[in-house]
Amino acid sequence: MDIDDILAEVDSHAVPPATRDLQELTRAWVTERSAPEILPWPDMLMERILERLRRQIELVEEQTGNTDPKANFRLIIIQTELERFKFLVRSFLRARIAKIDAHALHHLTDPSTKARLSPSELQYATAHTSLLHAHYHSSFLSQFPTSLQRMDDTAGGISMVEGPDVDKAVFVRALKDVEEPVYVEGTDTAFDMRRGDVVVVRWSAVREVVMAGDAELI
Amino acid sequence: MALPLPPGLTPPETAFLCEMEMVTVIPRQRLEGLELLGGPIPPLNPPYRTPLPLWLALLLKRQRRANVLPPPWLSPPSLHSILDFEKSTPSFSPPLPLPPHTTTSPPFLPSATANAPPDALPYHWLELGEMLLEAASDDIPEPDNVRRLMRDLREVRMAKMRAGVGVLEGGREVNMNGVGGMEVAEGRAFIGGVVDGLRKIGASKEMSRREREAEERENGIGGGEDDEDDMEI
Repeated sequence: MDIDDILAEVDSHAVPPATRDLQELTRAWVTERSAPEILPWPDMLMERILERLRRQIELVEEQTGNTDPKANFRLIIIQTELERFKFLVRSFLRARIAKIDAHALHHLTDPSTKARLSPSELQYATAHTSLLHAHYHSSFLSQFPTSLQRMDDTAGGISMVEGPDVDKAVFVRALKDVEEPVYVEGTDTAFDMRRGDVVVVRWSAVREVVMAGDAELI
Repeated sequence: MALPLPPGLTPPETAFLCEMEMVTVIPRQRLEGLELLGGPIPPLNPPYRTPLPLWLALLLKRQRRANVLPPPWLSPPSLHSILDFEKSTPSFSPPLPLPPHTTTSPPFLPSATANAPPDALPYHWLELGEMLLEAASDDIPEPDNVRRLMRDLREVRMAKMRAGVGVLEGGREVNMNGVGGMEVAEGRAFIGGVVDGLRKIGASKEMSRREREAEERENGIGGGEDDEDDMEI
């Protein structure tokens, strides 16, 4: 095999950074859509993607005046892809907002969950919660005895703040051979995961594996 | 603005995901290479085969600018042998193995291009086959036969999904190797619901077990009749 063959092979295996970002965003979207709790905000990835989206939109705006039929068709392809990308980003963000809405107070009080939100999500959750508090207070809470007015009471050892059900069943696919058997807490179950295996199991058992990137939700 | 959908991809979202699969096209028109957000698109030069994402291939096909070369498994002989195999075992036929040494997974594997293996169904087999049959049936040999075999396969596999409900359990993992994307989307609500329901029924038993384990961890007691006790404490 001469050097050109080797280079060609390396080239064919190298994935362009834009494609890699698309793959990462797609995986983040599927995982966020499927996992019962919110996942860490992919800071760098979203920055790169939003920047690329912005540049592509500029390109479309520049070329819209072009009346050459060939350029016109290229523009159709570019716009179709742009719309697909925007759908991915939007659906990803909306899935996160749905989770924040469902358990806003939990996302603000639990430190590890709070750290997973992006700055604007944090701002949204704070505004959402304070609006809700103000509304509840003016409509009925103010009529209650003072001791019953709190929204985050932990009296009696039970917290009023509800979190997501982390034991919900998820479909997960192993991306690597997971070295240690996955142990399901509270049961006798421990199982091995080999690359390509698909299992249905509770989220809390595979959370670590998924977050380490050794498995993905489907 | 929050997404009003239940957790887990719905069938239309699964189809969207499937449109990122690569397929092989034979262009009928020239097209310069393009820099898209998801990476570069190679220039199209008839009659050279070019791999393209399915959404773009369908766009070109609808405008009669290209023909799609169907993947080898989407042909009557392949589907026939897979169907025979499916009928002979209670589990799904073995899926296309994922390539080692990477973490790439469907839809970003070349499982629907013209040089995909002919003897195994890829993850997005159902959606992909349906979309190609709908938009490019003139490029597929014996489309009616393929359609019929796809339907048979789907029915055999759906029966297996239903039969598999018997082994669902709340605490254990359930292996579903070989399941397809659309089959997951369709079965998720039911299977997830059963597993969650069974878990809730067994929750008090589990809770007392967890408490006992925590207690043993505190007291540092090993041994006993339970075989979980040899776990590292």
